[in-house]
Amino acid sequence: MKEKFNVVGKPVIREDGKAKVTGQAKFADDYKFPNMIFGVMVRTKATHAIIKKIDYSEIENDKHIITIVDAKDIKGLKKTGLIRKDQPVFAFEKIVTPGDVVAMLLGEDEDKLRLLAKKVKVELEELPVLNDPEKALNEDSPLIHPEFGSNLIVHHPLRKGDIEKGFAESDFILEQTYTTPHIEHAYLEPECVIAIPLGEKGIHIIGSIQNPFTARRIVAEVINYPLNKVKIEQAELGGSFGGKDDLMCILSARAAVAALKTNRPVKIRYTREESILESYKRHPYRMHYKVGYTKDGKIKAMKIDILADGGAYCSMTPFVTWRSVVQATGPYEIENVWTDVRGVYTNNPYTGAMRGFGSPQIIFAQESLMDDIAVHLGITPDEIRRINGYRQGSITASGQRLENHEVNLLKVLDTACNETNFREKWIENEKHHNRRIPTIEFKENILKRNLILSKNEFINPDDIIKKGIGLAVSFRGSSLGAEGIDAAASYLSIQNDGSAYLLCGLAENGQGMRTAYAIIVSEILGIPVENIYYLEMTTAHIPDSGPTVASRSTIMGGGAVKNSAEILRKRFEDFLKDYWKLNENDLIVFENNEVYVKGKENLKLSFPEFANLAYKNGICLSSIGWYPGPKIHWEEETGHGSAYFTYVYGCQVAEVRVNIITGEVYVDRVTAVHDPGKVINLLGALGQVYGGVTQGVGYAIFEELDKHNGLPRELNFDQYIIPTSKDVGEIIPIFVEGKDEFGPWGAKSLGEPTLELTAAAINNAIRNAVGERYFNLPVNLEEVLLKRKLRPEDLKRGSL
Amino acid sequence: MKSKSIKKVKVKFKLNGKELELETKPNKRLLDLLRDDLNLTGTKEGCSIGECGACTVIMNGKAVNSCLVLAGEINNSEIITIEGIAQNGNLHPLQENFLKYGAVQCGFCTPGMILSAYALLRVNPEPDEETIKEAIAGNLCRCTGYKQIIEAIKHSTKITDG
Amino acid sequence: MNPEFNYIAPLNLNSALKILSASKSRAKILAGGTDIIPGFHIGSKRFSSTELLIDIKRIRGLDTIKEYKNFVEIGACVTFSQLSESEIIRKYFPLLAKAAETIGSVQIRNRATVVGNFVNNAPCADSVPPLLVYDAKIQIQSLNRKREISLQKFLIKSYTTALKKNEIVTKILIPKPEPELKGDFYKLGRRRAVAISRISLAVLMKTKNSLIEEIRIASGAVTPIGTRLYELEKFARGKAANSDTFKELSIQLGKKVLEITGLRWSSEYKLPVLQQTFYQLLEKVSRDEI
Repeated sequence: MKEKFNVVGKPVIREDGKAKVTGQAKFADDYKFPNMIFGVMVRTKATHAIIKKIDYSEIENDKHIITIVDAKDIKGLKKTGLIRKDQPVFAFEKIVTPGDVVAMLLGEDEDKLRLLAKKVKVELEELPVLNDPEKALNEDSPLIHPEFGSNLIVHHPLRKGDIEKGFAESDFILEQTYTTPHIEHAYLEPECVIAIPLGEKGIHIIGSIQNPFTARRIVAEVINYPLNKVKIEQAELGGSFGGKDDLMCILSARAAVAALKTNRPVKIRYTREESILESYKRHPYRMHYKVGYTKDGKIKAMKIDILADGGAYCSMTPFVTWRSVVQATGPYEIENVWTDVRGVYTNNPYTGAMRGFGSPQIIFAQESLMDDIAVHLGITPDEIRRINGYRQGSITASGQRLENHEVNLLKVLDTACNETNFREKWIENEKHHNRRIPTIEFKENILKRNLILSKNEFINPDDIIKKGIGLAVSFRGSSLGAEGIDAAASYLSIQNDGSAYLLCGLAENGQGMRTAYAIIVSEILGIPVENIYYLEMTTAHIPDSGPTVASRSTIMGGGAVKNSAEILRKRFEDFLKDYWKLNENDLIVFENNEVYVKGKENLKLSFPEFANLAYKNGICLSSIGWYPGPKIHWEEETGHGSAYFTYVYGCQVAEVRVNIITGEVYVDRVTAVHDPGKVINLLGALGQVYGGVTQGVGYAIFEELDKHNGLPRELNFDQYIIPTSKDVGEIIPIFVEGKDEFGPWGAKSLGEPTLELTAAAINNAIRNAVGERYFNLPVNLEEVLLKRKLRPEDLKRGSL
Repeated sequence: MKSKSIKKVKVKFKLNGKELELETKPNKRLLDLLRDDLNLTGTKEGCSIGECGACTVIMNGKAVNSCLVLAGEINNSEIITIEGIAQNGNLHPLQENFLKYGAVQCGFCTPGMILSAYALLRVNPEPDEETIKEAIAGNLCRCTGYKQIIEAIKHSTKITDG
Repeated sequence: MNPEFNYIAPLNLNSALKILSASKSRAKILAGGTDIIPGFHIGSKRFSSTELLIDIKRIRGLDTIKEYKNFVEIGACVTFSQLSESEIIRKYFPLLAKAAETIGSVQIRNRATVVGNFVNNAPCADSVPPLLVYDAKIQIQSLNRKREISLQKFLIKSYTTALKKNEIVTKILIPKPEPELKGDFYKLGRRRAVAISRISLAVLMKTKNSLIEEIRIASGAVTPIGTRLYELEKFARGKAANSDTFKELSIQLGKKVLEITGLRWSSEYKLPVLQQTFYQLLEKVSRDEI
């Protein structure tokens, strides 16, 4: 394995950076086309209802309306979806959640259309609303999508060993229930798409689209076009985090239908309110864990029952919950495991992919649980994890032996503990639980007490702030796993002046993927990163490489890019061996924009000279790289199999201060130790950690999308609060680069691991600070003091 | 819809150093004037209510949310947008450092972020970390966790052209 | 999305008042715009009938802070940035300066005006508690009348004030407090920046021989409007300035707020926290004083 690198692992400036700091980078809404019109959505006030009639009579003759499109205009599939075809492009049978759109008005004046949209009359027959996932499974609950026969979207069981025997062999049993809320992706750029009709050549779509190939499939099946007549181009994407997938497919389809009907370019752009209203969220989970363990801290049995709120549409629920079932025990070797993960329809906003993808929820539960076991046994949190944590050759809950990569769980744990002086601080903080959070103690009778304190309940000013430290560990399967087809393609074309074009079938979501790919090419062919022009991502120019999800762009796309560069390198070496008449043992070096033979200084060309020479000698300077994932399998009935072909490991330590009279939590420091495999771009990798941890802090203490009858309460950033520059203290990233046979030089995944651990670590730190365990995210002001959330009865904005 | 007549407003202002005079609808926001009428699309719209800072521009030396400024209000003012920060093709030191310190990911918040920093450095060439954090607290970023942005601004102190 | 309206920026107060009185209530005054423009965007009923915006920022003299012998005058167009940077405000009214620093973001503070903060009488207007403890008055003008009214009287109920349709608030007048009055402003939000207040409190206190000689207390965000708590002040005067009194005062505050506001969805959290944080504030003010 290559040990010395010229470019890989160094901090490299983004190839798209200059365009972005000067305002030149073109995001979807920055595109304008002659004759372009706007599409504005028509929604109803209902949450769950049968659509009887849509009446446009009040507006259809308005001069501002060019046309109206609804389900009747769709020539292909009226309902679509990434996994299950349950989501109408325009609702025509039922409203199943408040974001649903029944029609779209087309015209030149977007503002006027917005006013007119309110005048469409939709005759509805209201149905009972299902907001509680448990109730949605009741026999007598109405079916949200009757054609599927059940509100149960998916059930993933996993059975290992003998669960009852495991509990019988345990000295102690602990049972806990945890919940997590709906989370908004909160990408800064709201959704935007433009469809441009091209006549016989089909349709061209430019948008803030995370997965162009998925969007192409959906658009093609909705407008009934062959794939090669639907060209999807990705504009610069203003953040996605998993969030610009399903909805962008639907918006692309709506724009396409309208563009074909009007024969004009159609732009749809959402306000923040529309974005939050209609876009999908992170799944809320209700998780019941029962764990049996011995007095020595060995976990003997774990029984897990998880219910995920899938909301109104299936979206990625089967895959999100599948990752949960694989990873639900955490990175612990447990003989007896019994897990059930169910995803269910409700009338809430639908839920799908979001950075983490079914892992932040279970890690919050399982890592809180591990700390409670440690506390119960009188050992430190790192010890309980050392006793049970994965080692080289450990067997996972699904029966997979971890052997083809370095299993660095304990290494990241030890690194994090040493770096933070974890054990000493944790033990010290545990001594200061004498003054508990005052309000929790009387929560049962809170109204009777009239909420007026007695004098002995006031807290001395010096006792208000409590310090805590907590940790969480995780293992995470890289890429899609047995979820789906896993392969990626890359196109690399050297020009005869030595510059290059590069393109991969995955998509840049802002994470810096294009730069990482350029680094890989640079490492292999010695072309300076700045001489590599990354081509615009369109589905017409590169093979379908699957979606840009599951932290798979470095491992899979990187693998494809490396393959394309290696194809050329091999071809170039063969040519030079012949041209320079070299021996078998001569070593050709490609570095610093030069090609030379080691030890033979006279045999040296600049890369541009070489490219020109090769071109003149009829050598093909272009290649298509391909990187298929290794074979994996999964037995759905038992939950057995090698779920992912490799894994990454992480440990985060959070240090917090808790104000016990207000419930404020301040995160002073997060030390994030990750094994992402080989780091490709240090600058980008650091950015992933800082960003992921900060999102994790939001998940831990701020963020929650509350609903009123299925309608999100927080429709903009004044209500849905994400961390600002002042809300997170230090973040200290540390990389432990484990070896792996897969991915470019063993480079694997980092984007999602950085986020998935933080809330769990913070929750454990809060417990260490105040001696109270919290079971429900977010651990916000009210949760800290009352152990429950408080909510206004209606949708009123404001503060009282 | 109201039937009364809407009178266009006439404004004269300096945009990125150039004098401009134009007429526009009175309910037009500065943000739309820049993006739609003047094709300066570096200024971004993220929330429309002054919470996210993506539309930040400099107005008379101060950072403002251009989604909360009406066209009429800019009469006789001086506006600087992200397109006016680089001089003669040379990046401003803030822009250079945003690149160097990895302060850019998706880039949607970047123009507003740079302009908030620019406004800070004009009046306070050597801000401490807390002051930097306060100056960009009105610019939300979901990608970077702010750390590399703060680093970039820190390293741009004392070298701004003010 | 903004509704269609006309925009006018008169150069003097008289023409602004003329336009206002001619507009028959379809006009709104525009200063910072940080309330009204988001209001348009969300389709708030408070602003939906607006047909004319009268921008008062071009009117000379409304954007200044002026010091007189016994009082300080803050013009209707003075922004929070101006306020927090003003030496005069920092010297005489530090609580107001502190509140100004905690409002919104830099971008908001560069536009939002102090008068605009309370002229709509939203419950969580952060400048109100400090202005109340400093006994602020406001000057209101119409075409044929100029009047002064205390801020407490101006604020009638949630989103309702004593302002008539043909009137404009032109300035805030605050008497310089006696130098012995020390105090602090406290705000609790859900995050550390750009946060809507869950609780805001302002206290000014003067002690003599360890007794509370004078005290002024005001709260925001816990009552339907920002409120000066005169009864509480009366109760406190003459009492020992010690922890026991502070606890008693905090309990009294809790009772008073419960009486004014009744039980709300948030009371379970807010009422105990209000008492605890008020107690901390009193302890802090009393410690700082020594």
